[in-house]
Amino acid sequence: MARRTANVGRLLAVLLVLLLAYLAGVQVVWGPQLARSPQNPRLAIAAEETQWGRILDRHLTVLADSTVQGGRQVRRYADGPSYAHLLGYRSARYGLASLEMRYDPELLGMPAATPWEASLGFFGRTVRGDDLVLTIDAAVQQAAAQALGDHRGAVVALDPRTGAVLALASRPTFDPAAVDARWPVLSRDPAAPLLDRATAGQYPPGSSFKPVVLAAALGAGRATQRTTLDCAASVSVDGLVITNFEHEQYGTMSLPRAFAMSCNVAFVHLGLATGAGPIIRTARALGLGQAPRFDLPAAPGYLPDPRTLGRRGLAEISFGQGSLLVTPLQMAVVAAALANRGVAMRPFVLLQVRAPDGRVLAAYAEHGGRDALPSGIASQVAADMVEAVRDGTGTAAQLPGVVVAGKTGTAENPHGATDAWFIAFAPADHPTVALAVLLENAGVGGQVAAPAARQVLAAALRAQAGQGGRP
Amino acid sequence: MGSRRTRERGLLAGAAALGVIGLAAVHTTLHPAEPWRPVVVGGVALLGFLVVHGALCVSGSAADEIMLPAAAGLSAIGLVMIYRLRPEYLIRQAAWIALGLAALVLILGVLRDLRGVRRYAYLCAAAGLTLLAVTVVAGVERNGARQWLLLGGVAVEPGELVKLLLVVFFAAVLAEQRAALTLPGRRRWRAEFGRLGPMLLCCLGALLLLVFQRDLGLAMLYYGVFIAMLYVATGRMDYVAAGLAAFAAGAALCYHWFGHVRVRVDVWADPWAHASGAGYQILQGLYALAAGGVLGTGLGAGHPMLMPASYTDMIFPAIGEELGAAGTFSVVALYLILVGRMFRAAVRAGGAFEALVAAGVATALGLQAFIILGGSTRLIPLTGIPAPFLTYGGSAAVANFAALAVLLGVSARATGRRRQVEALRGAADR
Repeated sequence: MARRTANVGRLLAVLLVLLLAYLAGVQVVWGPQLARSPQNPRLAIAAEETQWGRILDRHLTVLADSTVQGGRQVRRYADGPSYAHLLGYRSARYGLASLEMRYDPELLGMPAATPWEASLGFFGRTVRGDDLVLTIDAAVQQAAAQALGDHRGAVVALDPRTGAVLALASRPTFDPAAVDARWPVLSRDPAAPLLDRATAGQYPPGSSFKPVVLAAALGAGRATQRTTLDCAASVSVDGLVITNFEHEQYGTMSLPRAFAMSCNVAFVHLGLATGAGPIIRTARALGLGQAPRFDLPAAPGYLPDPRTLGRRGLAEISFGQGSLLVTPLQMAVVAAALANRGVAMRPFVLLQVRAPDGRVLAAYAEHGGRDALPSGIASQVAADMVEAVRDGTGTAAQLPGVVVAGKTGTAENPHGATDAWFIAFAPADHPTVALAVLLENAGVGGQVAAPAARQVLAAALRAQAGQGGRP
Repeated sequence: MGSRRTRERGLLAGAAALGVIGLAAVHTTLHPAEPWRPVVVGGVALLGFLVVHGALCVSGSAADEIMLPAAAGLSAIGLVMIYRLRPEYLIRQAAWIALGLAALVLILGVLRDLRGVRRYAYLCAAAGLTLLAVTVVAGVERNGARQWLLLGGVAVEPGELVKLLLVVFFAAVLAEQRAALTLPGRRRWRAEFGRLGPMLLCCLGALLLLVFQRDLGLAMLYYGVFIAMLYVATGRMDYVAAGLAAFAAGAALCYHWFGHVRVRVDVWADPWAHASGAGYQILQGLYALAAGGVLGTGLGAGHPMLMPASYTDMIFPAIGEELGAAGTFSVVALYLILVGRMFRAAVRAGGAFEALVAAGVATALGLQAFIILGGSTRLIPLTGIPAPFLTYGGSAAVANFAALAVLLGVSARATGRRRQVEALRGAADR
């Protein structure tokens, strides 16, 4: 009986030791992550007791700081409407949004980079939160906001070498400092100003999807740069009649020319020859159809299942229509992957976390990438994109002294006039900036989106020249 | 013997000092302008342990010297946290500790030998079941469980006391029947069923009454103790297997039939899905633990009040927030030490009945600690039962100190026997 009594005692001891191991997990290992949960009421309490950290661009230009007004801490935004969707807002009534929410623990000075730091509160309370340094370049962001003008739409610009986001803008926008007062209007506005179109807006890509189809066709060996395609005015696929933009017809043309002139009929032939499997696989490899891992929540878009697509469905996606949906952020990543020899770097926007005294607490150069395309395929597509801007639908994106690669898109959608797309990167031989521009219901990609992209590219290249071309 | 009590004195002084320093820290942080009376009262209650120690010295007891300090340490941490979370309850908790210590001294004095209790085993069972039944009928509901009896304005939780009564009854039945149940040869389940009938009926009745009271934690505890004692007495793994199967079946039925059981389990599986409703409490517990980190925020510097029932069911996460993993590990370590010493006494106990009582009480305390500590941290589904010696409450204090008294007595007699044997050996050698 004594032996069995001891056995019960051992069992209980094992249970209590198990509890110890679990506690170590909750308090020490997962604790910092758990403490970040936006539902943790300690964040709201810390927000009352702490001076919120600032948000800075990559050159340490202040984008957001806080001041005390009438005994209450108030957030100030340097250029609120231009950054509203990226930075978010701090509302006592409506909570936090975007980066203000995602990095609230850092801004409140309560991140626990290490378990040891988590315990430093024991020795003294933080009175000022940490600063966020973003990958954003204020000059590029300003250019993006200006390029959008009064259109509804979004611009995302990246450094293709690292995935660092240089600009992320969405229109229509709002004043993040006036959310409390304007909420009833903002939340009911049919133009949805609170929606971040850059990360959460999902649109048919139209012809801006053709680089994906081209890459799939080249990769599958169904075409080479010397392939010729029939660019008649229309083609009928199982009874579905597809026409070229404004019923253009060019007869037989080479693949690069068909791409440069964005011939739908030619791409239907190319898509049918390639097959749905390679096209969807290539799209998925480039990050479409799945939510990108990013600092902000990002929409997944939609890729159809190649097995149930059928010939008509395949014909539609061959020029970027059908059930395809993409976000501007995803298309910027596609452009960046084509620019970066087929390696898709993960997009990110947080460059550093700095203590109030300027000490760098955390720094991120990049978050890795994945091989989306063979580099040979990527450079062939890039060459055709150069041609599209040199002498094709994208000539409006030309910059003096810089070779630009780009692709236009004019996407039909069920909500009125066509959406205008442009994806691009520059300089073509060693790209340092890649972007996607989307303008909702704005018309033809080459006429409205390409000039907008041109402004942003110019601003980005100018900004990079100013800092010696560092990534 | 002298060194044994000397060690106990040193450890008890340490525990009392820990409590007084903690109380003083809370006082200077949160109530600096108020009179120091609560700190003094808490200190006096902890000095009560030294009074018990004095009684043990005077009576020349050979009782285990680690159990009492371990209980004192847990009581001290409990007092500090209650002062921090509910200052108005500090004096009452100090009184409960004093009452519990008085019960401890009384039991140690009266129960010179546990065998006397064996005669009253059936009375214990009857009294226990009656108390539970009365609670079902006349009890009042607090925090969703109908587990309280109002006696002259004081809320009593009979379940805590019944725990000990049932252990005595189970031990008596098992001590009587174990010889028949462990005979080698063919198993006669039906005959064995008859022998264990009273015990099975009593256990089933208690469980049903507890489920009616919605006191699932206590039901789990009783059942665990029942199975453990069955195993200790008979070593029959077929009983253990049947018992665990019955537990699984019963748990599944409860999950199916009772909404409150289902809610507990669902909330445990995914508290985030019920973040603003039923999962709120356990989520707050996790946030509190996370906020504590390694060393904690310090007493008075955290926000444990964000947790509902912070000073009762959630006292352990509250410790986790303000004292960190250092605090929670210390508490678990104290339980490990206390329960370990209790099992040591149970292993050395003389006589089947005494050994079974000791094993049952030790299991009850250890399992109770695990159920509430694991429950409040989401290791297992949360069922609110008091953490022994830690949680605020009078009934629990009296029951736990009574349990401690029983084990101290068992350990003292075991040591006494051992000494006799050694003395006889020594005489024989000479």
